[in-house]
Amino acid sequence: MKESFKRYGFIYKSVSLFLYIILFSSLYFTLDPATNIWGEEVSYISTLVRSANKRELYKDKYWHTLLHYKHGLLGLRSLIDDPAFFLAKDGKYNPKSELEATLRSFFDPVSDESTPTVCRFIARYSWLKEKLDIDESMLPTLKCEEFKKVIETVKPKSATLIFPASYMNSPASMFGHTLLTIETENNSKLLSHAVNYSAYTGESFGPFFAIKGIFGLYRGYFSVLPYYEKVQEYNNVNQRDIWEYRLNLTEDEVVRLIMHLYELEDIYSRYFFFDENCSYCLLFLLDAARPSLNLTDNISPWIAPVETIRDVMESELIVETIYRPSKATKIRHIASLLSNKNKKLALSIIDQEVEPKIIFKQDISIEEKINICDLAKEHLQYQYAKKKIEKEEYTDLFLNMMNIRSKLGRPNKDRYKVPVPSQPLHGHKSNRFCIGGGIRDEEFFQEIKWRAAYHDLLAPDTGYLPGSQIQFCNVVLRYLYDEKKVRLEKLDFVDIISITAINKFFKPLSWKVNTGLSQKEMRDEDEHLVYHINGGAGYALENRYIGIFYAMMEADLNFGRSLEKKSAIGLGGTIGILNNITGFWKVYLYVRDIYYGLGDKHNELEIALQQNFKITINNSIGFEVLRRMAFDSHQDEGKLYWNIFY
Amino acid sequence: MKRLFFILTIFVSVVAFGTMAFATTKANTGCGLGTTIWEGSDALLFQLCASSTNGISGNQTFGITSGTLGCEDFKGIVSNEKIQLFIANNMDSLANDISEGNGEYLNTLAVLMEVKEENRTEFYGKMQSNFSNIFTSNNVTSTQVAGNIDAIMN
Repeated sequence: MKESFKRYGFIYKSVSLFLYIILFSSLYFTLDPATNIWGEEVSYISTLVRSANKRELYKDKYWHTLLHYKHGLLGLRSLIDDPAFFLAKDGKYNPKSELEATLRSFFDPVSDESTPTVCRFIARYSWLKEKLDIDESMLPTLKCEEFKKVIETVKPKSATLIFPASYMNSPASMFGHTLLTIETENNSKLLSHAVNYSAYTGESFGPFFAIKGIFGLYRGYFSVLPYYEKVQEYNNVNQRDIWEYRLNLTEDEVVRLIMHLYELEDIYSRYFFFDENCSYCLLFLLDAARPSLNLTDNISPWIAPVETIRDVMESELIVETIYRPSKATKIRHIASLLSNKNKKLALSIIDQEVEPKIIFKQDISIEEKINICDLAKEHLQYQYAKKKIEKEEYTDLFLNMMNIRSKLGRPNKDRYKVPVPSQPLHGHKSNRFCIGGGIRDEEFFQEIKWRAAYHDLLAPDTGYLPGSQIQFCNVVLRYLYDEKKVRLEKLDFVDIISITAINKFFKPLSWKVNTGLSQKEMRDEDEHLVYHINGGAGYALENRYIGIFYAMMEADLNFGRSLEKKSAIGLGGTIGILNNITGFWKVYLYVRDIYYGLGDKHNELEIALQQNFKITINNSIGFEVLRRMAFDSHQDEGKLYWNIFY
Repeated sequence: MKRLFFILTIFVSVVAFGTMAFATTKANTGCGLGTTIWEGSDALLFQLCASSTNGISGNQTFGITSGTLGCEDFKGIVSNEKIQLFIANNMDSLANDISEGNGEYLNTLAVLMEVKEENRTEFYGKMQSNFSNIFTSNNVTSTQVAGNIDAIMN
């Protein structure tokens, strides 16, 4: 109190009439015994505010983390859009006034209806208390029953970053999701709390979903679910392997994380698929947990979940990596342990061609019987999740199989050690830059290519889905020596290929879609830019010696001024072989033929052989020869280039 | 023309992306085997971080759960709400683990039932050998399962 009088004295001498009035009224109240406490409070608040401003706490990095302030094109603003998150009117844009308002609100009288801000914004409070050494006896309340209950329920011990890897047949699901789990003291992973940030959509119509997501028309909220629900969703239904990255956050840090999460309860931010997405927003929780982290600083126009994990790894947060295989992976693994005869037996049980009891009568070891049972059970669950069998049929057979299994005893529990695949983190980086050159019908050219994301058929598969390609914004510029000019050779907006071999247990479709611009030689024997939309589907087989072999039917739509009737619409197909000959050498051979029966009628045949030699994970040399035949002429092309992933 | 072309390109790309982007939703249809299943198709192309409507009740974060998915409550050793919720939510996986006498779900059940570390092996064996007494039919409910486990443990 003495301190504040001193300060008031100072202001009294130096400043305006306005402050004079405040001083006067505050003195008045201090003199009145009935309102004494209130007066003390007012002066104490002012002291705190002044002290905070003097120390420029509103510029503190941690304050910006807690309020999600980031610099944008139009200056500083918080990424949170919910007005309920701010205590000052201009809080979204003004860290200083928000800090002042926050400090003042701590002293607001307590009412029954609303949670006092000391509790509602408990992370802010505990940070400010530490910084300003707030005298708690001056606060109207400190009882945060609700928050206490949360901590008692959660019993936080540690935290883990969760990354569900790709769907079996969907390379683009790499963009998938990341979430956090908070482990509780009882040490059971399934019971830990899964913290998600996701768009609250309720929309199922694809195009709207995409447009709304791209332009931030959905609201993103944090939510907490039991982790077993997430495991069920990713592992058992979507058939995605899960990577769990255990973090070295201390118990205190995890509590700080929960404090911030608690502040964000029911608070929305506009959700943007590409940058302010689930993976990015989750990083605020980590930055709040450990103030020395700068994970949210990296705001780029395109934030891929795997990149955020890489950042987390580089911040030395990851202590352990755990792999949780999906049901499909488990099925593949158990199947690999069975002889062909036993695989067939398992399949005929699943297909209900034979009675499950037949297992008991087989002249095979008990281990083999167990394997057959387990394979059948897993596959039944898989089929049911994929809606390939009816519930009645499923529960009958599943229960039957489990009954048989329960009579076969308990062999070594680690019998199905699914081999851990290469980690997504160890894959090549997402951006690619290439430089190269070649020759085309006796004319030399040089090329530079740049690609925003992500992976292609020829790049090293480490950490990626083998047989997958997903390219976004792949730009190729070509310099032609003879003509001495640079031209746009190619621009792929999207180019996705998924080649997955079929086997006894899975029959996935292989497919591709791509759309973009490319140069094509036309009837006039000159090259012109053509816009294309192309899609195809088919099946693939895998053989140890020849690699993956696939055949797809496809449709191709071309549009361009140089085409007769400005368009050409065709049908055809591609066959190809992709072989990873050695760890560093990949070969891809394909033949593609399309007959354009509508618009500019013509046939186009393309044969290409592409090879890639890995030097390091982020460097490789590519070599390609190609022949294209269309409009009664043909072109040959050979090129060599250097790929750099960064 | 050029502008139209550009707009068309964007439109087509967005539609191409979009039609394949899809979120899954969960429909819980009871308390027995095969009831916790997710509706909706898989995201063939994109999920874009937006696993949206699946099971998030409101936007609660640490909302304390209550009720067991509309299944009846059971009073006994396993009357604990958390245990019942766990059984109801993981019927198939738990049944599978019990039939094998091993596994993470069975282990979690042991944790929830506070079975001591040294008694776990015995517990697992007991569960397995009583499989048919726990999962008595294909329309057994989670409440009945809890009751059956309770009866075995007594």
